[in-house]
Amino acid sequence: MANSEDKGFGVGAALPRKEDKRLLRGKGMYVADVDIPGTLDVAFLRSAHAHGRLGGIEIPEGMEDRVYTAADLTRVNPVRVEPSVPGFKPADHHPLATDKVRFAGECIAACLGANRAEAEDLADALIADIEELPALHDPVAAREDPPALLHEEWGDNVYVQLDISGGDIDSVRDAPIVVTRDYRMNRQSIAPLEPRAVLAHWDARAEELVVYLSTQIPHLMRTGLSQMLNLPSHQLRIIAPDVGGGFGGKARLMPEEIVVCAIALDTGKPVRWLEDRREHLMAAPQAREHIYRVTAYADSDGIIQGIDAELTVNAGAYALWHSGPFMETGMAARNLTGPYHIENMRCRTWTVATNKPPLGVYRGVARPGACFAIERTIDAVARAVGRDPLDVRMANMVPAEQMPYEAVGGMKFDNGDYPESVRRAAEMVGYDDIRAQQGGTAVDGRVWGVGLSSYTEQTAHGAAEWTRRGSPIIPGYESATARINPDGTLVLLVGIHSHGQGMETTLAQVAHEELSIHPDAITVKFGDTAISPFGFGTFASRSMVMSGGAVSNACIVLREKLAAIAAHHLQCTTEQVRFADGEAQSDGGSIPIAELARIAHLRQDGLPDGVDPTLDATATYEPDESTGVFSYATHAAVVAVDPHSGAVELVDYAVVEDCGNVVNPMIVDGQIVGGVAQGIGTALYEESVYDTNGQPLSTTFADYLLPGATEIPDIKIGHMVTPATFTRFGLKGMGEGGAIAPPAAIGNALSDAFAAIGAEFNETPYTPRRVLDALERAPKA
Amino acid sequence: MSDETKTITLTVNGESVTKLVDARTHLVDFLRGELGLTGSHLGCEHGICGACSVRLDGDVVRGCLMLAIQADGASIETVEGLTASGEVADLQENFVERDALQCGFCTPGMLITAAELLREAAPKTREEIREFLSGNYCRCTGYHAIVDAVETTLTQRLEKSS
Ligand code: FES
Ligand code: FES
Repeated sequence: MANSEDKGFGVGAALPRKEDKRLLRGKGMYVADVDIPGTLDVAFLRSAHAHGRLGGIEIPEGMEDRVYTAADLTRVNPVRVEPSVPGFKPADHHPLATDKVRFAGECIAACLGANRAEAEDLADALIADIEELPALHDPVAAREDPPALLHEEWGDNVYVQLDISGGDIDSVRDAPIVVTRDYRMNRQSIAPLEPRAVLAHWDARAEELVVYLSTQIPHLMRTGLSQMLNLPSHQLRIIAPDVGGGFGGKARLMPEEIVVCAIALDTGKPVRWLEDRREHLMAAPQAREHIYRVTAYADSDGIIQGIDAELTVNAGAYALWHSGPFMETGMAARNLTGPYHIENMRCRTWTVATNKPPLGVYRGVARPGACFAIERTIDAVARAVGRDPLDVRMANMVPAEQMPYEAVGGMKFDNGDYPESVRRAAEMVGYDDIRAQQGGTAVDGRVWGVGLSSYTEQTAHGAAEWTRRGSPIIPGYESATARINPDGTLVLLVGIHSHGQGMETTLAQVAHEELSIHPDAITVKFGDTAISPFGFGTFASRSMVMSGGAVSNACIVLREKLAAIAAHHLQCTTEQVRFADGEAQSDGGSIPIAELARIAHLRQDGLPDGVDPTLDATATYEPDESTGVFSYATHAAVVAVDPHSGAVELVDYAVVEDCGNVVNPMIVDGQIVGGVAQGIGTALYEESVYDTNGQPLSTTFADYLLPGATEIPDIKIGHMVTPATFTRFGLKGMGEGGAIAPPAAIGNALSDAFAAIGAEFNETPYTPRRVLDALERAPKA
Repeated sequence: MSDETKTITLTVNGESVTKLVDARTHLVDFLRGELGLTGSHLGCEHGICGACSVRLDGDVVRGCLMLAIQADGASIETVEGLTASGEVADLQENFVERDALQCGFCTPGMLITAAELLREAAPKTREEIREFLSGNYCRCTGYHAIVDAVETTLTQRLEKSS
């Protein structure tokens, strides 16, 4: 690191965000803001039926030129996802339906218009002849007793069946305490506030297809589009400008995107599609829909000896490029024993196809479900042995002195004090005081409860972990170019994307740490495949560690070169040169980086022998160990429930987390609160409801409830810091964690509130209706 | 299909504008598409999310629920106008200070609504601030920082005026 005394801008500083200025003035540039004259809008004719055979498509006379069907997309390859997972069944996914439709909302035809309204008028005038087939909406029925097959060639509706186990579950069958529970985390939308968007046009001068795309993964999108369009990558440029939130929802290649590009190639005109919210709620990647049966075997103190589980994940109609849905299931199973020292585990899993939109990846990926299942089970075991869930939770946890610890699912926990996070989270919500007050309804006529939930979040995992998962793509590293201009300003070109994470700021902080250049003199550029080296993008809580490491490595290369030039002029050795305040300094004097940059570019007569001109370095970074570093946290929720209406109020919410060293504490807190809000959405409000015919019932924000400012309480945050031992600066990723624990913490709080009657809350979201149902079903109601 | 058009004249961010528009064009589409004022965003196009909020004759309205022709003769202010006039400079500053935005997509609508609250110049509890902002969705921040930024701005303004 630079010998900078000045920690005001480097790693650890709560630097205000560099990206805020444009966004606050309405000067952000999202795909829908890109103005290319002559752009044609696309509207899709979508299937009105969940499952059916597609016959003809009736196109109004004279409109044929403005309509594209599958037959017109002759140069497009279907998407076919083939992970290296034994038994995974692939299927062709045509971006416009060919012989069958498999969910309500699937694209059948694309219609062009001079604006969206005209394109939509045309889409409305099209008629698709669909012969209905029985629809599959419930994944358990779809695998056990299917009335129809989605992909006939499979012979069943199961993408893949996998058993994941460790230890010997049969060795604990005669444990004194056996607790079995069914859990269901229902399907939901991802719903970034900016819907999906794509604009493509052929640039005749550059001979390339320029694609403005609202995506988290521009380089991977180029790889995918290149395959699907049969267009070499040097003729594809992806620009992801400002992106209005992703959360995983913009990390998969979608049919609409392929179709728009194909039409732009075919017509030679600029073509765009702006998703509307209804389309988002019925055809964008969806998330969750995990169904568990969990049996825990424990001793009479509630120490769990084994977990035997079944997990069915509803992966929807198609496997999305690049990885398909299998990871959701495998990750849930492997995380099913949580932060606990449970030595025996077996989890039978089914990843099932139904007539619902494809499953994507959503903040937390798989772990909100796994956390929900194990954390509710911990509480159920505690009740069964008559102990407080807090005590049983801590007693089962991997203690600090046992670190590093390899959990039975294969997760290698690196370090941290998990039980301490429980203790502190409980303290922050006044756990003991609430306990003392319980035993009757509170003064306001509502019933109060407190619940805890803990998790680990594997982040910044490299090649070993992705290979083990069977991922077709191994995002084990990130890359960065650091370029010092002739005037000493610095440009960082990175392959990740930032759409709320504040990477324009935190990567500048990393570069400042290495070079002492002022953040105002640093620009971070991303989201354009033409300017940055190849990188995977932003997902899996990886960008700060991975891209931060790559920026650090590239800056170190530049620093060494700067030191060599400086030593030449300061007449000292390179080891005697240190960097601070934008200068190279030695005991004998100093020279500004700007002057070194001038020499390196404009006055190579000032370069020492053997030093090449320019200051431009590209580097990659992968953590020393690629099994991941584990952030962890405990959430504590306090609820007040009206037993007559089923209304739940979150009275208090606290998070105690440890993500190692932190680059920008203000941004970390923002990520935590934002994640928690999404987790509260999963817990209490958000559900993509389908009827038994597979018809979507939550297609507007009036039916699909996002939490607003009145639904989310102030979130208390407590920090613990256990630096990672094998990442640069001791960082751990943390972007997803906030969303993992709320469904479990709130479910535990509700179950706590009604522990006296034995009511349990095992299905999300806990709508007033479900709360009342749970109270009615309670054993001692 | 609609072939109906109408010429409208309105004031946008202090400047008079006369344009021929399709009768069915929504106000926010007009502002974005015809005038290039892309600070107002479309998050739902059915009146729930608040990303399209603009000020019409002093009141906050949903730009996606109004037609441009309904704004004939009106005075519109968008986030660009509020920025240029300096009306929300302190609020914007506090958004930065408190990290009250992430992806920034909700931010213009949030500022327009918060500006309305600030104009009332009356003390507000956090609950009342939350209530006031409840028609503006933010998917990123979890609102805590937004409420902080609005609360701080309000407190500063009340202190200054007292
Ligand atoms: S876009 Fe107008 S309220 Fe959502
Ligand atoms: S900052 Fe992204 S929606 Fe509010």
